[in-house]
Amino acid sequence: MASIVVDDIHVEFPIHGSQQSLRETMFRQAVGGLIRRNKSGRGGIVVTALSGISFTLNDGDRLGLIGPNGAGKSTLLKVLAGVYEPVAGRVLIDGRLTSLLDVMPGLDGDDTGYENIMTAAMLFGIKRADILAKLPEIEEFSELGEYLGLPVRTYSSGMMSRLAVAVATIVEPGVLLIDEGIGAGDARFAARAAVRLSDFISRSRILVLASHSEGMIRKTCNRAALLRSGRLLAIGDVEDILSQYRDLTQTPPEAVATSTDVPDQANSRA
Amino acid sequence: MTSQGPLPQATTALRDLVEGLSQWDVYGRLGWLDVKRRYRRTVLGPGWSVINLALFTGSLGMIGVGLWNQSAEAYLPFLTSGLVVWMLISTMMTEACAVFVNGANFVRQIKLNYSILVYALVWRNFIGFLHNLVVYVVVALIFPPIGIMSPATLLVVPGLALLLLNGAWIGLLLGLCCLRFRDVQQLVGTVIQISIFITPIFWPPEVLKGTSRAIFVAYNPLYHLIEVVRAPLIGQVPSASTYWAVLITTAVGWTVAYLAFSRFRKRIPYWS
Repeated sequence: MASIVVDDIHVEFPIHGSQQSLRETMFRQAVGGLIRRNKSGRGGIVVTALSGISFTLNDGDRLGLIGPNGAGKSTLLKVLAGVYEPVAGRVLIDGRLTSLLDVMPGLDGDDTGYENIMTAAMLFGIKRADILAKLPEIEEFSELGEYLGLPVRTYSSGMMSRLAVAVATIVEPGVLLIDEGIGAGDARFAARAAVRLSDFISRSRILVLASHSEGMIRKTCNRAALLRSGRLLAIGDVEDILSQYRDLTQTPPEAVATSTDVPDQANSRA
Repeated sequence: MTSQGPLPQATTALRDLVEGLSQWDVYGRLGWLDVKRRYRRTVLGPGWSVINLALFTGSLGMIGVGLWNQSAEAYLPFLTSGLVVWMLISTMMTEACAVFVNGANFVRQIKLNYSILVYALVWRNFIGFLHNLVVYVVVALIFPPIGIMSPATLLVVPGLALLLLNGAWIGLLLGLCCLRFRDVQQLVGTVIQISIFITPIFWPPEVLKGTSRAIFVAYNPLYHLIEVVRAPLIGQVPSASTYWAVLITTAVGWTVAYLAFSRFRKRIPYWS
């Protein structure tokens, strides 16, 4: 039984070195989390990226995260992935975790494709021998040919995502976290990536997918969650949530109440 | 990771350090890639650090022999061994400032034991040290120090182990400080620049007397950190006070670094 338990998490980003103009900017911007002054009065800026989010996922759940830019979708994925530890609340996960986020982990532009494959795979926790065994599969799927021997800074962004998808999908997914950007590329590759990803997703026990694409969420997910300014507005049936999302994107930002209360505990840590 | 029910995603500083240490395949690889990257697109590759050190030793050696009225046979092995060890310490300190700053592609993309980045730093500097040691070996062949073939030379191994152990806490502590306060990096650069002159590397400790000797030699932790490797390299046994000083530095340094790491560990991805 795989499961994810998210229990009242709060995430805040202290922005160090922000400009004076940014300091003066507060509240009510159309996109992003809530920006406010650090209450301790030291003049810092804190962006509340997620606040008070709770949900539970079990085997077979495929959750789509949807919401406007800066709603906290990617941050939530990174919290689930264990990249960010929330300032309050906790995340419990049962199952082998695989995350396909925006950049290949450990990516270095001066290293060759092969070197980056090895680094990323090791960070995913795959043993060296297993990576070597999977290498032909990666070569075949990525179709990068001799480019794999060149530094990845020479790659186009489409080639980068070929590499990322090829590497990430060699692991056995248990709990799978995917950020939408992955699987870009030209149309033919996008189709192949879609096949490989959907096969990969079907082997996973739990999926959390962040996307702007209603089509992708409708096709892949059996549950959906609507995020806005770091808050979970609704979670439930896909069609229901998607229609709420459509309503939301048609209303001006002022219409949605963004309250400013944040737990005190979170303030002191920022 | 299965069947014990859901586990918290949060981890502890101690677990990070211990589990990270066991992932030698990861930091071994990262450290090695760093070395490779540094020399990529250069013709001489690792030869450069050797050439750099050889020129440094050659020119300073000539001045030092005149300045301190020493024989070349005595001074050059002392200078070269000191410089080789100093370069290990100073590059570990310099790179410590960037260890988490440059690690954003790690800490913001995947859950990992952050200590791995520090171990990779120590490992790649150890590789660099082995390169530079070539210069000392050449000097020692030309001007063999008395006692170079004695068992005292074997003390290089525990000495290096102690030094690298100190490198790890320096990496952890400076890495954290510089990630949060980017000015610390400038400060560290300045301290290193001054240290090379106020620590007995170019000049033998014997030339100082009285209070200044106490300040710059006896109570200078950098002197003892160098001495614990340099003395065996030139065939001498480091004094007991040097070992004590190094042990105290190690204990104090690790305590502070551990406290800082356990307090601020989870802020690392937020600060990077």
